[in-house]
Amino acid sequence: MAGERAAFLTQMVEVLTSTVSFGERLNNMVHLLARNLKVDLALYFGLDKARATLLLNVSSQGPVPPHLRLEFPLGQGLVGETAKTRKSTLVHRQQPGVAAANAALEKLNPAYQTLAAFPVADDNFLYGVLILVDRAERSLTAAERQGVQLTCLMLAAALRQAIVQEEAKKRIAELSVLFEVGKALTSTVELDELLERIVSTTAKVITARGAALHIINAVTGELRVSSRYGQIPTECPALPQIPSCGPATEPPFYAGESSDAIGRTHYCLAVPLTFKGQLTGTLGVYDKFNPNGEYLPFDPENRQLLFTMAGVIVSAIENALTYQQVEDLAEKNERMVRNLTALQEISQVMLTSVQEERLQEIIIQGLTQEQGLGFDRAVVLVVDEAAQTLTGAKGACRNSATRDLPNLKALQVPPEMIPVTDWEIPLRVDQGPLALAVLRKSAYHHHQTPKEPGVPPALAGKYAAQEFFVVPLVVKDRATGVLLVDNQASGRPLEPERLDTLQMFATQAALVLENAHLYSTIETNNRELLLIRERMLESDRLAALSSLASGMAHEIRNPLVSIGGFARRIAKLVEPNSPLRGYVEVIQEEVTRLEKLLREILDFTGENLSYYGDHELAKLIEDTLILVQRDLDANKIKVAREFAQLPRLHCDDRQMKQVFYNLFQNAIQAMPHGGTLSIRTFPVERPDGLYAAASIADTGSGIPMEVLHNIFNPFFSTKDYGTGLGLAIAQRIISRHYGQIEVNNEIGKGVTFIVTLPVAKYCLVKDVGQGAVPASVLRAPKGGR
Amino acid sequence: MKKILVADDEMSIRLLYSEELKEEGYEVYQAANGREAIDVVDNIPLDLVILDIKMPEMDGIEALRQIKEKRPDLPVVLSTAYGEYKQDFATWASDEYLVKSSDLEDLKAVVKRYLKD
Repeated sequence: MAGERAAFLTQMVEVLTSTVSFGERLNNMVHLLARNLKVDLALYFGLDKARATLLLNVSSQGPVPPHLRLEFPLGQGLVGETAKTRKSTLVHRQQPGVAAANAALEKLNPAYQTLAAFPVADDNFLYGVLILVDRAERSLTAAERQGVQLTCLMLAAALRQAIVQEEAKKRIAELSVLFEVGKALTSTVELDELLERIVSTTAKVITARGAALHIINAVTGELRVSSRYGQIPTECPALPQIPSCGPATEPPFYAGESSDAIGRTHYCLAVPLTFKGQLTGTLGVYDKFNPNGEYLPFDPENRQLLFTMAGVIVSAIENALTYQQVEDLAEKNERMVRNLTALQEISQVMLTSVQEERLQEIIIQGLTQEQGLGFDRAVVLVVDEAAQTLTGAKGACRNSATRDLPNLKALQVPPEMIPVTDWEIPLRVDQGPLALAVLRKSAYHHHQTPKEPGVPPALAGKYAAQEFFVVPLVVKDRATGVLLVDNQASGRPLEPERLDTLQMFATQAALVLENAHLYSTIETNNRELLLIRERMLESDRLAALSSLASGMAHEIRNPLVSIGGFARRIAKLVEPNSPLRGYVEVIQEEVTRLEKLLREILDFTGENLSYYGDHELAKLIEDTLILVQRDLDANKIKVAREFAQLPRLHCDDRQMKQVFYNLFQNAIQAMPHGGTLSIRTFPVERPDGLYAAASIADTGSGIPMEVLHNIFNPFFSTKDYGTGLGLAIAQRIISRHYGQIEVNNEIGKGVTFIVTLPVAKYCLVKDVGQGAVPASVLRAPKGGR
Repeated sequence: MKKILVADDEMSIRLLYSEELKEEGYEVYQAANGREAIDVVDNIPLDLVILDIKMPEMDGIEALRQIKEKRPDLPVVLSTAYGEYKQDFATWASDEYLVKSSDLEDLKAVVKRYLKD
């Protein structure tokens, strides 16, 4: 008996440990049990995953046909009862309630009398219930019972092992998918490539014919990125943004199916991608297929996998998006640095010149240089204030010859000029962006449209571009010109950010052009001043010559008058036929000739030609001060000015400057040890009209009283004070201008000369127009010019 | 007989003017500078003065000023070698301004004009 039992258990263990499949082992164990206990039937009911129903899995009589797959809910019938109580039970049909509760079993064995039920469980888990069925009314011996219980334990062990194995398999499959996905995710940071790999890997691990991924901006609804792989049936509905199918407790997903033209069913499964921030998206797969090429619906495991993948790829996509942004920023930064370097280099070169023309060339070169701002074509236009036009100054096309030169060198090469000097655009608002850039002092990025050609009519046939930038050259809130650039030749688009760079460049360019302009103005002024100084010195020399000639004339004229006069007297006394008469006539004629010559010389030196014009008194004074600046500095004389606004004078500016020059010279000579030269201009109203006056005061010792009355005398000269002729000349000039010169002398304190000149009537009228002086004080002297 | 003063620092000029004017029938006095001229004016009831401008001691301009103070009615003819100052001296209260010339016809005509009665 004990040997039989041992043999049974040995057989059981052999079956349990055999290498056949789990199902086969289960079959064999149940079959062995039935045979060993000599019962008609042994059945195994497995508890389902929901742990609510017990399902007939194995029968000792072989495979269970579908219609005999019995089911017992937990707690119903002997099977359900045993599963619930986990206690083995033996019942007979006659016992009350047994037949009714277990009627289903009659399908397997209509005439059963005995049912024995054993739970298949280990320490903490119930896997199912083992049922023994026999048509005889019998019982089990303790040994038999023990044998069954052992078998049940073995079954439980086998079942547990099977479950663990299955779970392990699943885990491995999932891990290998994740490994695949991970491999794909870490292989690249390039967004496009990453998305491609994600969709292809997704399709492959789920064995789907196609996969697609979309990421949109949840706020704007704008598609950010998308990627597709394999075949996506057109019949499939567009991937929904946020799929929601299935119970609310599960994460949202979308499962759909549709039929195509030939009646084939297509399947679609999509899950949401949830990002941080504003992005959202979907990952979808289409048409799962088996090795036979049949399309299958997606199962919950696929769904689970898709969810897992969605979770994993989100962060990878986020990373890639960030990386892409960082890369974009880095690229932008690099461009900025390149632009700034180019700008810096161009400004460096611009500092090498103060010539406007050359600067314009450098600017054009910088704009068209490959290493500079790199536009295809650039033109500098300048504002003509007088004509109210914008005219072409310099223009050039991209110079490819300098491509390999460093920027600084390339900027020195003269650009390939295009003729623009005949460009002339009126400065009116209807003349398009070029004129507007000046008038509104703003930059324009113009795209040509049939409605707005942009290029003004004045440039028809001279300039054409689909797209151009125009920026004003603004200095001190004044537009002095514009820069016009385009990429017409190559057709490259003009990126808006390049307009910023161009504007930065324009600011710099405007400044250096303005400086050059100022420099040239200063140069011209300097030249003019030198000329004036030259002329004044010339005039001084002329005055000296005149004075010398006058003296000579006096000396020569007197004897000539005597000689000639007496010769005439002799002629009267000489006989008409006397040979002396001829001699006397020669003397007379020669004297007359000399007198005529003398007159001519004096006419030349005495009166210079006049240059009358309208001049501002203050300006005449300032101009003259420049001429004596050196003498002022040498004597350490300070100049105090107080200029009133006065109408202009109609006068010979050279002569008036001579007046002030002489007065200044006198003042300077009166202050050999320093002092103050005070110059004041003011209006003087007289009964006959308005006069402009200038007072010139020194802080010298004053004029000695005994010579004061003589100072305007042309023949008066003192070595102590002035040049002698100076004041006489000044007075002559002033009287010629219908003015007066007065002197206020304070011994020990200084001398003040006051020059009063009439304001020309028509100057009054003109200056009123310019609003220089209030109308109430404007009355010109009657005798004024 | 009308009395004329010729004031000039050049003796030859004084002599020439005197000879010519005497021939015309005037009584001629002479002075070598402004001061002498003033003396003559003070002592002789002159009818006309011919005054040189540049003279030592007292020049013609000062002499002119003083003469006009003493005898505003007395005609004074400035006779000078400085033709170019004619415009300026004309404002200095002389009656006539003549540039010296060996041809004395102008001078004689002016004198005749002032002394015709």
